[in-house]
Amino acid sequence: MAIRTAIKVSNLTHTVTANTGDLTILKGINIEIKEGESVAIVGSSGSGKSTLLGLLAGLDVNTSGEIVLYGQAFSNLDEEKRAIIRGEYVGFIFQSFHLLPSLQAIENVMLPAELKGDKDARKKAELLLDKVGLSHRLTHYPNQLSGGEQQRVAIARAFASSPKILFADEPTGNLDELNGKIIIKQLFELNKSQGTTLIMVTHDNELAKKCDRHMVMSEGSLVEK
Amino acid sequence: MVNFAFKLMLRDLRSGDILTLLMALIISVSTVTTISLFIDRLQLSFEQESANLLAADRLIRSDEEIPKNWQFKAKEMSLKQAKRTSFGTMIFSGDALQLSQLSAVTDTYPLKGAYLVDDTLFARGQPSKQPPKKGEVWLSSRLASLLNVRIGDQVEVGESQLTVAKYLVRDPGSSSSAFAISPRAVMNIKDLPSTKVIIPGSRVRYSLLLAGEPSDLENFESWVVPELNEGQRWRTPVEKGERIGDTIVKAESFLLLAGILAVVMSGIAMALASTRFVKRHLVQVAVLKTLGATPKVLIKVFSIQFVILFFIGALLGLFVGWGGQGVISSLLSGLMSTSLPEPSVGRLWLGIVTGLISMVAFCMPMMLRLIKISPMSVLQPSRKIEKNSLAVYSIGFIGIYGLMCIYTKGFLLPSIMTLAMLAIGILVSIVGWLVFKLGRSLTSGATSGWQIGFASLYRRLLPNLFQLLVFTLIIMLGLVLVGVKSSLVSEWQDQLPVDAPNHYLFNVQKDQIEQINASTENLRVLRSDWYPMVRGRVISVNGKSIQTLYPEGKGEPELYERELNLTWSHSLGKGNKLLSGDFSADGLSIEQRVAKAANLSLGDTLTLNIGGNIVSLPITSVRSVDWSSMQPNFYLILPKRVLDGYSANFVSSLFISNTNAQPFYKSMSQHPTVSILNVGDILKQIQTIIGQLSEAIQLVLLCILIAGALVLIASVRSTLEERLEEGALLRVLGAKKALIQQSLVVEFGALGLFSGLIAAAGAEACVYALQVFIFKSQASWHPLLWALGPLIGISIITAIGLFASRIVLKVPPMHLLRDF
Repeated sequence: MAIRTAIKVSNLTHTVTANTGDLTILKGINIEIKEGESVAIVGSSGSGKSTLLGLLAGLDVNTSGEIVLYGQAFSNLDEEKRAIIRGEYVGFIFQSFHLLPSLQAIENVMLPAELKGDKDARKKAELLLDKVGLSHRLTHYPNQLSGGEQQRVAIARAFASSPKILFADEPTGNLDELNGKIIIKQLFELNKSQGTTLIMVTHDNELAKKCDRHMVMSEGSLVEK
Repeated sequence: MVNFAFKLMLRDLRSGDILTLLMALIISVSTVTTISLFIDRLQLSFEQESANLLAADRLIRSDEEIPKNWQFKAKEMSLKQAKRTSFGTMIFSGDALQLSQLSAVTDTYPLKGAYLVDDTLFARGQPSKQPPKKGEVWLSSRLASLLNVRIGDQVEVGESQLTVAKYLVRDPGSSSSAFAISPRAVMNIKDLPSTKVIIPGSRVRYSLLLAGEPSDLENFESWVVPELNEGQRWRTPVEKGERIGDTIVKAESFLLLAGILAVVMSGIAMALASTRFVKRHLVQVAVLKTLGATPKVLIKVFSIQFVILFFIGALLGLFVGWGGQGVISSLLSGLMSTSLPEPSVGRLWLGIVTGLISMVAFCMPMMLRLIKISPMSVLQPSRKIEKNSLAVYSIGFIGIYGLMCIYTKGFLLPSIMTLAMLAIGILVSIVGWLVFKLGRSLTSGATSGWQIGFASLYRRLLPNLFQLLVFTLIIMLGLVLVGVKSSLVSEWQDQLPVDAPNHYLFNVQKDQIEQINASTENLRVLRSDWYPMVRGRVISVNGKSIQTLYPEGKGEPELYERELNLTWSHSLGKGNKLLSGDFSADGLSIEQRVAKAANLSLGDTLTLNIGGNIVSLPITSVRSVDWSSMQPNFYLILPKRVLDGYSANFVSSLFISNTNAQPFYKSMSQHPTVSILNVGDILKQIQTIIGQLSEAIQLVLLCILIAGALVLIASVRSTLEERLEEGALLRVLGAKKALIQQSLVVEFGALGLFSGLIAAAGAEACVYALQVFIFKSQASWHPLLWALGPLIGISIITAIGLFASRIVLKVPPMHLLRDF
């Protein structure tokens, strides 16, 4: 059976308006990522990695070119429809975790499933938190957890909606080496067991090497290594 | 979805953000509810008191008999009715006869208030709710003396014989005609036909008195008013232009103003709370969006949350508001002479609408902004929310303005308030920007509390300007109330000093003056000057006769419709003020209100018929007269030379205390021809009402100030997080606790000082506008505001600021850093 294309990007350009005039952040990018692949995008600060990640996930609308996610083009969709696609296909892990401070760990993980109206949200969340080794921390609030623990909750949350593509923005950027390693291990394990496509932005070359594909972002252009 | 939204809200409740919003809503609904219910009760109470002066809730006065179908209609609308027929007639007793003002009343009269009657001549009287029985008549002590009759004697009225049953001290419905010259008498209306005194052409005043539920009265009013003809008038207890009416109308305007301020403060509280809510939910919404929450879902989630919040907030707000007004009323009950009527549940709508409009005007636009946030901001925190706050706040302002208009049922007061607030907004922005910038450049560097304080004022320029505006507005609102209250209360107190005259003496002959002076001096009674009084009638204006100008008396001003009391005087009397012209010139001096009503001005010539002689005089001066001064006052003052030849009666007013009432009446019994009018009871009622108003106003003021303090705390809390973060950072960098404390004192102190100063300026301008346009009283300067403004600003804002941010000094910096 042929492997499906998860994301196809053709001639993607993105320009923003700054005080000094228009600034082109992404210049004609073309990529195709197959289902189940893991892709690392590395590059220096301000090279446009996060912008690319946001556009790929449909968080923003590109200026020109096309992004097709599982056969659906983002470019012409409004926020409402893009959100529906995100809910269906996409999971996220952020550098600064972005757990909701007013919710307990378990409630944070339940959120995506609850949004979909899933009645088994709690059960799933418990299972996922168990997998990341936090079954003893279910009712803790984010400010009662260490950075590493918070990111593990974030990983559990990202997998809670059983996404087809997982976007990770510097997932170890705010963590020490030991915690970073634990996170990466859990991330790849879950990714493998769930057959998720992983697209990760990172500074960490070691981490990038663990991925199937390795791309470098430089001055708005993307080069595969 | 409802379930999810509810769960999310319950979870949010723990973070305190929803709680802040809920608290703001409860404060908003309860303040407005408390004040509107309390004002409602006060208004009802004033109306009841003034209804006692009218003897009814409403009254129709007519020159012809009241149509029967009106009475049927009133009956149909379940209104209680009484009738009074008043006319001038001769009353005879043997050889003695006297022209009297006689009222014939039904058994139901008075519907409100009571007669004062006595069995002793010139006594102070006992209240009686019943009118004279059939066959009886009550005579005023003066009339009984003039006719030389006592209780049990018979007098003749027309063709009937009536028995004198009581001496009449006060007729509850007669206050409006305090200057009636003829002595009074009351009889039962059942005896009226047999007297046959009313014949075609008699000058009779018919009154239909009504009492009942406000809604029934309103229904009847809207039915009957279109039916009224020229000679008929619908009267309410509180009418503009009347002494007590003016006082109550001013008090009501004040309370209304207080209510508006409550509404504005509620708006500010809601705006602050929703800004904080939005700020704290930015990341939450962006994260929810990345998790696949669509704008529709988010709108649903927030709408459901807001609806739930609204119901809980409105319900609790109403509950607290109802309790609040109960507490105020019971606090006040010890001070008030009468118990307040029960509050009407119907007034609760205002609190609910305030809550709803505050939610819709402030929370909804904020929510929509929140929903618009780009999910990209989770990856790029620098991408903040779209900057359309001006538009968002304008929706809020329009909402508040609309609310004020609904509340006052008009545009003037809300417009003055809104313009003043706008002006203050601009002023605050300019002054604030200049001062913060100047402060920053004068204290460059970052080593002392002064420098850090001013630096943070300048660094967070926009939030600080907003905070400055909020502080200024709240202090200003408080000061406006203090200013208006103090000028109103002092105006009222000036109006009716404790020793304000409570008796009038008239029909005094020149040769009686000396004797009366002697007895008043003996009794140490305070008396005004004697004013001569000659009767005369205006017959033409600038050569045109009144009949030509007003055929059949249609639209005829009061000045022309009856005989006037004319006087002369060399100087302006107490309570008179020259507005234009020359008082000493050889012409007429006219009172401004009647001049305006008759469209007269300086230079117009009036021709008067004085005792058969025709005199023409130009108007040479216009005076304002303080009718509430209880001094003898006149519409027209003539030159002495004109009135010199006529035999004049003299009039004076005096203050008779309770202790010297009896000897005074006794001494006056030697002068039975002198008319004594006792207005003491009316005055007492007015003073009671004024006393109640002053107390009520103070309590309402206190209420508003407490609400203001709560809003201030909310406002400080809205910027607390940034301050906490900064404080913690400074501690980490090695700053001592004292330095942070000093910088906070400088920051809040400066904010307080400037807001206090600008607020004082704004309040002065506002009070001026209110005095001139709304209360129609004299504008005055208020040094108190200029002292209070900065004082309150510095002390309260620094205290609240330090109190609310005390945590900055206490919590270990590590803990704070982990929180962010």
